[in-house]
Amino acid sequence: MRPRITPYVFIAPATLLLVAFGVLPILVATFVSFTDMNLAGLGDWSRISFVGVDNYSQLFGDAAFWQAMRNTGLFAVFGVPSVIILSLAIALLLNRSGSRFFKALRSFYFVPAITAIVAVSLVWGYLYNTQFGLFNYLLSLVGVGPVQWLSDPTMVKFSVALVAVWRGTGLNIIIFLAALQGVPKEYLEAAELDGASAWRKTVSITIPLLRFAIFFVTITTVIAWLQFFDEPFVLTKGGPLGESTSISLFLFQTGFSASKFGYASAGSVVLFAIIAIITLVQLRARRTDVDY
Amino acid sequence: MMRSRTPWVAGLAAVSMLALSACSSNGDTPADASSLTVWVMGDSSANFDTLVAPFTKDTGIAVKTVAVPWDSIDQRFTTAVASGNGPDVLQIGISKLRTFADSGALLPLDETTIADYPNLAADGFIDGVAGDATAIGGEVVSVPWVSDTRVLFYRTDILEENGITAPPTTWDELRADAKVLSDRGVDQYGYYVPQWDSSLPVIMTWGNGGDILTTDQTINFDTPEFEAAVDIYAGLYADGSVPTNADFDQTQGFTSGITPMVISGPYLANAISAAAPELEGKWSVAPVPASVDHTSLLAGSNLSVWGKSGNTEGALKLLDFLSTPETQLAWYAADGQLPTSKAALADPTLLSDPITAVYAAQLADSRLLPLVPSWDGETGKALLDALNSIVLTGADRASTLDTLFQATGDTSVS
Repeated sequence: MRPRITPYVFIAPATLLLVAFGVLPILVATFVSFTDMNLAGLGDWSRISFVGVDNYSQLFGDAAFWQAMRNTGLFAVFGVPSVIILSLAIALLLNRSGSRFFKALRSFYFVPAITAIVAVSLVWGYLYNTQFGLFNYLLSLVGVGPVQWLSDPTMVKFSVALVAVWRGTGLNIIIFLAALQGVPKEYLEAAELDGASAWRKTVSITIPLLRFAIFFVTITTVIAWLQFFDEPFVLTKGGPLGESTSISLFLFQTGFSASKFGYASAGSVVLFAIIAIITLVQLRARRTDVDY
Repeated sequence: MMRSRTPWVAGLAAVSMLALSACSSNGDTPADASSLTVWVMGDSSANFDTLVAPFTKDTGIAVKTVAVPWDSIDQRFTTAVASGNGPDVLQIGISKLRTFADSGALLPLDETTIADYPNLAADGFIDGVAGDATAIGGEVVSVPWVSDTRVLFYRTDILEENGITAPPTTWDELRADAKVLSDRGVDQYGYYVPQWDSSLPVIMTWGNGGDILTTDQTINFDTPEFEAAVDIYAGLYADGSVPTNADFDQTQGFTSGITPMVISGPYLANAISAAAPELEGKWSVAPVPASVDHTSLLAGSNLSVWGKSGNTEGALKLLDFLSTPETQLAWYAADGQLPTSKAALADPTLLSDPITAVYAAQLADSRLLPLVPSWDGETGKALLDALNSIVLTGADRASTLDTLFQATGDTSVS
């Protein structure tokens, strides 16, 4: 029996943590989503009652929910490819040399990822400011009128997402750089002897060998963008008129500003389901993949 | 954003975990008569520590002050309710009073409870917030602490340069003056409408002699007075007299002169003095404009005792100390927040400052926003969303207002 138990002992700590902080909250949220729990109910449990699927039917009829869903979709469609392509390109360029300058650049690109989001968003908030911001000042130097970076319904989505792209690339560049160390030099040398150009080597050897890193970065980036929260929360509070409200921010607002925990839980269950489905689809797509 | 558990997940998880743990433990704060934990709103507890130092000296009760930023009070309170572990005394913004009181976590402060504490008697405070005025469901759960109101701030220098010798007293005058001031040039405006300020349209409605509450205490925006308020609100935008960007900075706008008029609270005066002391004497304040009643917003904060506090007696002693006119005046001097004690507001030294005198006069003619279940989260938000979508995105006025009437129509105060 002993050998059979061993693997379970090894994974037990991780499993317990996952159950306590991952599975259990989701189960509790699912349970709460069928109740009308609010702040009053939280203080006195006898005031909570079951409402069946009312929260869900109300949610699907809520224009603010659909607006947040649309925004989140847009954020993901813009943000995910931007982050992946940008961090891959920067990693490939940084990998061309191991000189002191390039090493300094690596830290330079990583700095946004480790800077506190509130500080980052405050600074970007000042850069974006319509009257007193640096961006509009620079535009005014070349004779372009002020842009409403954070007030225009369309522009605000890109302004907010841009900050997230800028912050999101740092960590992914490190992941790609680490994966690039694992590309065997022999293949590249062989290709060089055959007279392959630098571009050809990158496209035909390096990038295919980075498949797993790209796959990993894609999954984590997609999840991160579906849970997009910090930047709109600090920069715009989701405004103007909900134009930069992501689904996570919507849940936060209904849950904590309006204290509608049952309703917010229903929303978080929906978001969880969406993320789970998208991730499963990605994993399934990967299964048919060849390995080198 | 990347790879960090987003706050809502962590928050909901925290709530659920704490709710679960609340079943097993009684969650009471340990009974300790020699100390009190106080939550004050804001970023720093230094001023409050100084304020309560004499209290600690007299009673021997140590006061531990925790500064809670305005942005995170909802989460802090929710977590405290779920776990049962709260402070002993907490400051509650009046706009959140109803929500917090509904949780049942606050100690009812009925006449017998406060009988031994003369400074807590309702008639010592300004009428708008005292006793029954802030009772929730007929139950008083808080005592007034600091008050806040809205007055018209204006730049005397800029108004005079443009031939405006006196501040506007009606909204029509304000609109006309704002138009004159915005004609000063490109990127110059006459007035500033904060897009997050849900009290402004209500003040306009009151000014027109109307109300947003029916006689049976439910919300009703479907009145001619509110329509007239929307006329003013939308008119300011239609005239091009107000900036349209959401990130406009009220203080910078005022000190730079881009928006030489704005309706705001005393905190703006402090911000102006801090950011542009050289403007001293070039700006002033006046009562809010109105065609009928110059009624303004009465806001501020009350203090409550946590129901499960282990030191209720000490907490009430502290409330009594904080309600004395001397303490309230000391707090105004230290922190710039207006008193709620009638005696403190009538203090000659306080009134010797002409600007403070305007605040005090406006406070006497100020009203609370209706204590609906969630003003900030629902009613006020619906109001702002409706008005802002009309003025900013050109939404159809009639249908947008209809949606507002329907969405808020059955919201009740009781």
